[in-house]
Amino acid sequence: MNRRTVVSRCVGMVRAFCVLLVAVAVAMPAVRAEEDFGDFSSATLTAKAWGAVGAGKLDTALVFTGKCRELYMEKALEQQASLDGFASDEEAPMLWALNDVGTCLFIEGQVYEQQKDSKKALAAYEQLASKLGYAQCWDPKGWFWKPAEAANKKLKELEFDAKLE
Amino acid sequence: MRSLSEAVTAAVVLLIAGVGAAAEAPSPGAIPVRIEGSPAEGFRLLRAGRPFRIQGVGGHQHLDVLVACGGNTIRTWDVDTLLRETDGVRLIDRAASLGLAVTVGIWLGHERHGFDYGDPQQLQQQRQAVTRAVEALRDHPAVLSWGLGNEMEGPTGSGDSEQIWQEINRLAGLIKSRDRAHPVMTVVANINPAKVAAIRQHAPLVDILGVNAYAGATGVGQQLRQLGWQKPYCITEYGLPGPWETEQTAWNAPVEPTSRQKAGMYNAATREILADPACLGGYAFLWGQKQEATASWFGMFLPTGEKTITVDAVTDAWTDRWPDDRAPVLRDVEMPLAGKRLAAGTTLRVVARSTDPEGEPLSYAWEVRRESSDRKTGGDAERRPEVVPGCIVSADDRGVATIRLPREPGSYRLFVTVRDGHGSGNIDNWPFQVGSGSR
Repeated sequence: MNRRTVVSRCVGMVRAFCVLLVAVAVAMPAVRAEEDFGDFSSATLTAKAWGAVGAGKLDTALVFTGKCRELYMEKALEQQASLDGFASDEEAPMLWALNDVGTCLFIEGQVYEQQKDSKKALAAYEQLASKLGYAQCWDPKGWFWKPAEAANKKLKELEFDAKLE
Repeated sequence: MRSLSEAVTAAVVLLIAGVGAAAEAPSPGAIPVRIEGSPAEGFRLLRAGRPFRIQGVGGHQHLDVLVACGGNTIRTWDVDTLLRETDGVRLIDRAASLGLAVTVGIWLGHERHGFDYGDPQQLQQQRQAVTRAVEALRDHPAVLSWGLGNEMEGPTGSGDSEQIWQEINRLAGLIKSRDRAHPVMTVVANINPAKVAAIRQHAPLVDILGVNAYAGATGVGQQLRQLGWQKPYCITEYGLPGPWETEQTAWNAPVEPTSRQKAGMYNAATREILADPACLGGYAFLWGQKQEATASWFGMFLPTGEKTITVDAVTDAWTDRWPDDRAPVLRDVEMPLAGKRLAAGTTLRVVARSTDPEGEPLSYAWEVRRESSDRKTGGDAERRPEVVPGCIVSADDRGVATIRLPREPGSYRLFVTVRDGHGSGNIDNWPFQVGSGSR
């Protein structure tokens, strides 16, 4: 094989390799830069989720809510099971996992609504209403609001919307 | 009894009741209304001895539509509206002829409008006006309850003025001394711990707490119970979040829910209100149309009188059925200008396609108006911005239009009104801003 043939084949192989690299890069999902989860506490994750929603970064909000659920859902369910009604104002802050995971589920419902994904919104609200009914979230106006009650209202809105189809 | 003052007040109530029973028995015309129940079991109105759940609206127009949709009560904010004649018939008489009950709104002065609850002369004039109103209407069969004031404690702030609530108590006592047949409700702008505590302490003669609540309407009952409210309540204005409590654009223009979103909100809120045993019912707002941030935010009817999908929504909640002719339903929206800052003169294709449940052909009317610069608080009257000419390049009958943005920098809204030609329609709108660069 003469030199020209060898060079030509090498160029061809390099060209093919580059094409392959590009094809793989296009086919692979974009790697998300790791979000800053702070101290990984449920309160921090929930606050970051709210902040992301406020900034219009809906996918980012879902990353935070997803992390909160991943880390604390088991504890949230445990705290829910320990109750037979809403905790008093004094006791409510101690049910941190229940409150924060419940709030995160509500946030997810809100995000999916904004993204026009009714199915996922319904799923988030239903999970909240059926599994974490005693979650509470402090309202600066001076009381705890109930994410599950808000979810039930949202469920009714979405159920009515389905009637319009 | 928790205190001496409460014991004294209770004695006064009994005295008024005794005097009232002797001197002011209900006349043959009045339909007596009383409250039955307890905090534990819930409350209900009995009207002529029969349970009456308020499926009401705030407003005085389209009463025949209200009846057809299953509504049974209207609420006004003043007495003059009820006494005003149209075609020789007073509104309250027309309501009665349609079988509607009426919560008679008795307007009370607001400090933000200059009323002084420390001025004896103003108070005396107000007391006389309340007395005249009660004496004029106490015998009317349509009267369900007295609506003593509307947000007179202030639409914002703590609303816990001892002076105001003591005066409300005095006025409630005045009403009860002249009318034994109807309960007294006072109407406030939402609730907070200080306000509810002040009402409990200083206005014990109030029978029903009416709460104007929008985004938080369905949480009111639970909050009242947490705050120790032991009497019935009503939601006296509700529907959708107000412009003060929704998402805002970067230039602080409130983002109005779509007509379709509003329908879900009205339906859910109505069902939740009727599901609370402590709640006597609610009054959807507004059974009519007004300019408040936009011309469409609260109106359940178009400015031209057609009912919107929110009317269908409350009909479904009240009756579990649709009205005879349904409003169009918003389906597809492509609104590249929504919430955006764009260059002057930009041309855009926009879509807001609706379908009609009965298959009727729809007409679309597009217009651009400036963002309102006449924003008020507390629902005070606002001027509607003028149409900006020359912005609608073309529009078809499928909800598609081509828009040319105004030349002048500023904040605007694109409105689309869709009508089915049979008495129903919707308005939707999207805020946008024109920057100083041009295209």
